[in-house]
Amino acid sequence: MSYADSVEQAASVIKQQAILIQRNLAQRKLMDALKHISIMLTELRNPSLTPKQYYELYILVYDALTTLSQYLVENHPKRHHLADLYELVQYAGNILPRLYLMITVGTAFLQIEDSPREEILKDMIEMCKGVQNPVRGLFLRYYLSQRTKEWLLPDTQEDGNDGEGQENGNKKFNVEFIINNFIEMNKLWVRLQHYGPLRERELRTKERKELQILIGSNLVRLSQIVEDDLKLYCGFILPQILEQIVQCRDVVSQEYLLDVICQVFPDEFHLATLSVLLEVTLKLNPDVSINKVVSTLIERFIGYMDRQTVDIDSIRETFKKLSTQDSTENTGSGITNSGDLFFVFWNYLEKLCEARPDLPLNDLLPLVQGILRLSLIWYPAKLSNIDCLLKFTVKKCQENGGPNVTADSEYLFQDLLLSLSSNDIFYRVLTECDSYQKLLSLQNVGLQKVIVNCILDTIFKRNIRISSKSHLDKILLICQSIIKVNNIKFHTSPLDDSERAASQDDDSTSSLLNLEQEKLAQLVHICYHKSIEKHVELLLTCKSWLYKGGIQLRYTYPAVIASFWKLIHKAKIKSKLYSSRKTRYKQLSNQLFKYVSRCLNDLFNTVGVSCSDMIFKLNLQTAAIADHLGLSEISYDFFTQAFTVFEESLNDSRTQFQAIVNMAQVLQKTRSLYVENHYDVLVTRCTLYGSKLLRKQDQCRAVYLCSHLWWATEIPLIGEEEGITKTFYREGKRVLECLQRSLRVADSIMDNVQSCQLMVEILNRCCYYFIHGDESATHVGTKYINGLIELIETNLKSLKMEESAELKDDKTMKASIHTRLVIGIDGSFINLPTAPTATLAAVSHKSPTVPISSLVLVVTEYLQRTLKYIEDQKLVDDRFKAIIL
Amino acid sequence: MSLFFKSPIDIEILFDGQESRKHVEIPTSSASSKTLKDRYPLYEDGESVSGIVTLRVKEGKRVEHLGVKVSLIGSVDTIKSTTEAKKRSIDTFLSLSADLCPQGELVHSQSYSFNFKDVEKRYESYRGKNIDVMFYVKVTVLRRSTDIVKLKKFWCYLYNTVPLIHTSGNGDDSKPVKLDIGIENCLHIEFEYSKSQYALKDVIVGRIYFLLTRLKVKHMEISLIKRETCGHEPNQLSDTTSIRYEIMDGSPVKGETIPIRLFLGGYDLTPNITSNYFSVKNYLSLVIIDEDGRRYFKQTEIVLYRTLS
Repeated sequence: MSYADSVEQAASVIKQQAILIQRNLAQRKLMDALKHISIMLTELRNPSLTPKQYYELYILVYDALTTLSQYLVENHPKRHHLADLYELVQYAGNILPRLYLMITVGTAFLQIEDSPREEILKDMIEMCKGVQNPVRGLFLRYYLSQRTKEWLLPDTQEDGNDGEGQENGNKKFNVEFIINNFIEMNKLWVRLQHYGPLRERELRTKERKELQILIGSNLVRLSQIVEDDLKLYCGFILPQILEQIVQCRDVVSQEYLLDVICQVFPDEFHLATLSVLLEVTLKLNPDVSINKVVSTLIERFIGYMDRQTVDIDSIRETFKKLSTQDSTENTGSGITNSGDLFFVFWNYLEKLCEARPDLPLNDLLPLVQGILRLSLIWYPAKLSNIDCLLKFTVKKCQENGGPNVTADSEYLFQDLLLSLSSNDIFYRVLTECDSYQKLLSLQNVGLQKVIVNCILDTIFKRNIRISSKSHLDKILLICQSIIKVNNIKFHTSPLDDSERAASQDDDSTSSLLNLEQEKLAQLVHICYHKSIEKHVELLLTCKSWLYKGGIQLRYTYPAVIASFWKLIHKAKIKSKLYSSRKTRYKQLSNQLFKYVSRCLNDLFNTVGVSCSDMIFKLNLQTAAIADHLGLSEISYDFFTQAFTVFEESLNDSRTQFQAIVNMAQVLQKTRSLYVENHYDVLVTRCTLYGSKLLRKQDQCRAVYLCSHLWWATEIPLIGEEEGITKTFYREGKRVLECLQRSLRVADSIMDNVQSCQLMVEILNRCCYYFIHGDESATHVGTKYINGLIELIETNLKSLKMEESAELKDDKTMKASIHTRLVIGIDGSFINLPTAPTATLAAVSHKSPTVPISSLVLVVTEYLQRTLKYIEDQKLVDDRFKAIIL
Repeated sequence: MSLFFKSPIDIEILFDGQESRKHVEIPTSSASSKTLKDRYPLYEDGESVSGIVTLRVKEGKRVEHLGVKVSLIGSVDTIKSTTEAKKRSIDTFLSLSADLCPQGELVHSQSYSFNFKDVEKRYESYRGKNIDVMFYVKVTVLRRSTDIVKLKKFWCYLYNTVPLIHTSGNGDDSKPVKLDIGIENCLHIEFEYSKSQYALKDVIVGRIYFLLTRLKVKHMEISLIKRETCGHEPNQLSDTTSIRYEIMDGSPVKGETIPIRLFLGGYDLTPNITSNYFSVKNYLSLVIIDEDGRRYFKQTEIVLYRTLS
């Protein structure tokens, strides 16, 4: 008999035969049916089928044979005796149809009471050996296992006194039967790999994976039969299966089967046989990825914890009980705690390294990570476990040549190091396990940074406050990689070079936030201790660590300084609360100011010019704080520092102007500096610098702003009130001097528009002083204001003449409808959009490309507003009436 | 010839209890088609052969004869050519005769009973390719001219005759057959049959153990071969394959054991026969066919014998 050419043909033949079989059976012509069946079964002999195609045909055949099987059972023994049929079908000349028929008849016979079940089963499985072709053999044995599924030896529980022994006997027989079939199937499966030409090896592996379920089904069956009979499992089933797995030495098979074992049998079984299972993994083919296998096991145990409703301790107890049954000795590493799941794994890890020193890190790491997770879940508080594992990893890393990690294993390390971060124990690991840091430091810098960033994020998220110096040290050590980031660059290049590099760096990154450094700064802020002294200690630790950051100080030191400020305030409050310890707190805050000063010096020396603006401001702020506390000397010191910075490093004219304004603001609010003429000195110096600015308009503005320095105003916060407090520092003469000086400068500016603008601004200042002080005190009187207004109007007139000489351009007029131009207080041009949809105002320092006429318009409007204000003031203040408009 | 010279007497031979007797069906030797079968009544060794001979004369005729004789003949014939069915008797190992009636004249039909008591039959009936062993009852009406002859064949089985050919004295047929064969560096197998002598309804049970397989085996089968030897002309052998039975599919690996179980009962087999002129022997042949279609085989003689029931 031959077989069809294609699968489709074969399938149609089978279907056709199946119909004939059914017809024959309906007519009770068994012999004819058998004839058709053997024709049908011949299709399964076709050697050219792929496993997938074979499976399709197998399904069809299976269905047809099911009808036969039913018929056989129903008509026994009326029409035939199954024992006879069992012999009869063995006359089939070809082995494959013969065996399919044998199994069909045999299993039908099993369903008959009083049949020699055991013999039949034994015979069938023995005869199956005749098919040695992998695919055909696999399917045949699968057929056997499918057919016998429900008709193995019964669990005879009602047998009375002899029942138990009998039942066990039957169960054991059944188990043996399945294992036997399993072993043979596995052999065939492994053999499939070596079929056909070498170049089709890949294809074979693929085909085998398609077939794996056939083999796995046996183990599933076993798990169903064994139920909860642990003894049977440990003593009988598992050893045989494992032996087969080890012996077949086949990668695909070993991986798959161990995986199946892990999946199908109950957790308790695994707990009891853990060491045996682990032992086996050591004996596997070296190509098997052990971590995959062990990971599955670990997953099971982790899942086991979730599935159990009882508390952890009792589960551990269970494990202890189970594991003592299987008496394996724990040797090595001096740890002799056999009831501890972690130690079983730990021992295994050590053994694994002994047995397979060549095991790549890529395989080892997921394993370590798995055990780590297991430990976290089973023994959440056991830090030593984690430390052990980390130490182990460090050792392994060093053996493998340190940080030369390939890119693909990088993520493994990342996973490992960050796997803890979701756990509560993470902070303790960071601060108490040295090996964590060691492991981290073995990684390459890029990776370290990524990890450190994540670590810091986690710390911040958890609202942790660092209050111990040792913890802080540990964490900073861990953060080393991002602290020291630019160190090399800083040390190797000469100073001017580094300055240039710094300025380049400045250009490229200053506008962006440096996230890493920002995190470090944040770290400074989470340091906290109730005692100020202790807190100071923490901050100093931070400071000394961060000092290593070189140029990065500019991101981190402000945070340190700000923390010091906070402490200064705190000391102040405390000294008020506990007046007995006043001197102590005073000393303390003095000391704190010294630290701030130290920081600023470091900042200045290390980072230099690129952040001098910031240093200047920090100095000012510190000075202001000192002033609030009434520490005039200290405040004066910081002011002078600020001036030094201004003189030495603030070169940009705009920054200089801003600095002067800033300085004036701070100074104007100081109250403690009047002693020893400090205020006078500083104020004069400030104004002087203002008048020496590069651009005249800056000079003009700086000077009229400085005029306020001689006109102190109330600060309600410290209890001052206009009209009641008499001690305001006010010198009207100097105010007028300043105003006059700025007016002179404004007048000398060549740009008429600018000049007028400034004059109007000065006019505004004059109005301010006119309102707030007597003419006798301020020396700003109606006469002066009148003169100023007159001067401005004259200037504007000449401007307008200029304007009328100019050609009028309608277009530009129209263009300016959409935007309104305003000149800011620092002389910048602001384009205010008038359309309601636009919200963004454009600020520029350059003169806009609008015709001079519209600029004049701007100034005129400005003047009109001021004049209108004066007009309005006349209603409330009689003195204004003297101003003639 | 018989058309022109129609026999004046019609002879009919009827065995006693022929209808109730067991019959065997044997494929006709001459016809090439397998479906045509001859039916013969079955006798065993030592059984009496008796029956009735009826002579019928055509109405109104009288036939003179020199006597009527009945004889029981067992003979071995060689078949020269299957088409002509020309047989040459080479040995008549059995010849018994009895007179039924003396010389006289037959006027009307007459019946005579005959009885050969406890006939010893040395051989079984057998119909092979070249050899034909047959038993028949022959009735001869002797005449002056040509005798009128009528043959009636019957079949004979010998039971429980265990031919102990190869057992060299010890006579224990339960001794298993073990053989160790192979091709150097290529194949090495060991096979074992449960015994060397089988009854025709027996089951051959055995196993094959693969010690070494470098061969890509496609499948393996055993076949039972019947070998007929004519002693007269040496080397004239004739093999017939009685059974072909696949026992393995695919290529085994080292250490694999393949079971053999072959029910003989369902096949039409011939037990071993030995005589001076010919012999029939049975061989079990193990055939391994590799993927390139090459066949490797090993034959082992087994003895088949017929048992009662």
